[in-house]
Amino acid sequence: MIGAFFVLPLLMSAVLAFRAKDGGFTFAHFEKAWELYRTDLLFTVGITVLSTVLIGLVAIAIAGYLTLGENPRAVAILRWLYRWPLFIPFIVTGQVMRAFLAKNGMLNHVLIGSGLIDPLAAQSLLDWRGIVIAFVWKQAPFVTLLLAGAMASLEPAQLEAARNLGATRLRLLGGIVLPQVRGTLMVGMVLSFVTMLSVLSVPLMINPNSPTMITVDIAYRINTHSDYAVANALCLMSLLIAAGAAWIYLRHASARHASA
Amino acid sequence: MRYKSLLMAGAVAAVMAVSGAPLAQTLNVVSAGDQNMVDYVNNYLAPKFEAMNPGVKVRAVGTGPGDSGSQKIYEKLQAQQKAGSAAWDTDVAVVHQRGAATMVKENLLLAYRNDIASGKLVSRDSAKNALGANVDGFVLPMFHSQIAFAYNPDLVKVPPKSFAELTEWVKKNPKQFGYNGVKGGMSGVGFVMGWVGANAGLGDKLEKGPYDPAQKAAIDKSLASLKDFNQFVVMTPGNAGTLDMLNRGEIAMGPVWVDMFYTWQADGKLNPKVKLALPSPGLPGQPMYYVVPAKAANAALAKKFIDFAASPEVQAQGIVKQFNWYPGIDPQYVQAKLTPAEWNKLFVDISPSDLAKYGRPFPLSDYFTDIVEGYERVVLK
Repeated sequence: MIGAFFVLPLLMSAVLAFRAKDGGFTFAHFEKAWELYRTDLLFTVGITVLSTVLIGLVAIAIAGYLTLGENPRAVAILRWLYRWPLFIPFIVTGQVMRAFLAKNGMLNHVLIGSGLIDPLAAQSLLDWRGIVIAFVWKQAPFVTLLLAGAMASLEPAQLEAARNLGATRLRLLGGIVLPQVRGTLMVGMVLSFVTMLSVLSVPLMINPNSPTMITVDIAYRINTHSDYAVANALCLMSLLIAAGAAWIYLRHASARHASA
Repeated sequence: MRYKSLLMAGAVAAVMAVSGAPLAQTLNVVSAGDQNMVDYVNNYLAPKFEAMNPGVKVRAVGTGPGDSGSQKIYEKLQAQQKAGSAAWDTDVAVVHQRGAATMVKENLLLAYRNDIASGKLVSRDSAKNALGANVDGFVLPMFHSQIAFAYNPDLVKVPPKSFAELTEWVKKNPKQFGYNGVKGGMSGVGFVMGWVGANAGLGDKLEKGPYDPAQKAAIDKSLASLKDFNQFVVMTPGNAGTLDMLNRGEIAMGPVWVDMFYTWQADGKLNPKVKLALPSPGLPGQPMYYVVPAKAANAALAKKFIDFAASPEVQAQGIVKQFNWYPGIDPQYVQAKLTPAEWNKLFVDISPSDLAKYGRPFPLSDYFTDIVEGYERVVLK
């Protein structure tokens, strides 16, 4: 099945990306893709890396509190609340953020209403920041879920022992919990990275500016110019970036195995 | 005995043939463009046509807005042509100019315009020429749409009358003008075409030709000034996005489709105070065309449908009155079917003479591609 639905289309895509109009081999499509969309490629990498890092931090914070929190009510509420974005598709997230982050959107209304900012100072966050916010909001619960599960499977005895010896919860988190759940965190972050790389709906709906994510350019090449060659070239570049993330993870995982 | 029963069978068959027993026929209409196009066929044209032709069912589907919608129709017809199908499953298609030009070039369409009565009611150049390609006889304009600047008169006391005045205006009023680039929708593409038309010094060579690839340099130069212009403006997410932001007061002016503008105002989705203006030397508009695929399964019925849809009554009540488009057939036939008030509604802000002077077609296909690619190369870097 992997052969039929992944490898075969991948090979066909590669063939189309390298085939010239006359049927020969050419790099021209890659050159064109690089010339027109170089900035967008860098932008895509930048946004996904930033989002992944933020997702990691948010996930650590929430999962850490769920594991180490001492107020049972707060923990219960958080546990119930944090999972909601999991069930919301990216396109719905895009639409929600469009209403929330606009210049006269809900966020600005709350900030102005509570007196935190002046009405004239209200900004529209519908640019690269909107994309990052949408991605973090949507993907953090997923990584948190993985992480909380991993943290819950740690031996409580070590945590209690450290507490008895006077460690603060933050110290507990950094020194004892995180090192042991590092593997799960890496898995979650890499999966999030690859997922965010493939999202079209969020940048299309939230960021009309340039630069934008590479998925928008791929859709544009196909829909407006019927230019499958450059679109496939862009897809292969995107695959390379995703492969890079996977390679980093595998290197890290095998290093741990070697040292374990 | 056998002879007699044969005679009886023959008589029955003859009677049935003469009485024209209604066979259930489905007319498949595929339309590019926004959802309002599909709604127009399903909610307005279909019930009327089905009432006139019992036993016929009209079914319309949409393929999406912009040239990509027409692209999908083209790919489907091309696939059926390559596969050698005897009868294609699309009877009527509504496509943009670029799509129609490509389809005519590849012999995917039937020449039908001279076979129907409404075909004689069109004399505009746009019925014969699609961005430089000769499509005479293969297409009939469904409507003519136009891009214009919509502006809020409370914030824009004197609307700019030219692109030069617009450039001055945005410098004094930063982030108050918004358009949707070339990737968000055709109103933005039209604005860019208008900009190049005003600034590249090519006059109407862009629209009349001949195509000269050496002009790319002049086009790129005009796009460089557009890059500067963009620093003072807001990018909107699409055709609807521009109208949306205008309505919310986030921008004061932006290019919009005139028909979308009027429809939104009629639906209460747009501030009724907002007005339209056409700058010099002009902004483009485009017709969308009724076409019949070369091997359509129900070609005769398709021609009847288009004849009906392009008739003066339907153009008056449907196209102009209900959907606020400029008519596809020549205006004088349509004007006769509307009250002066209804007719003038279309020309409240933009007079017929302004429309004639500043409403232009889109540039030739090759220049169109050069401009759009140039935008990516020069402005988006």
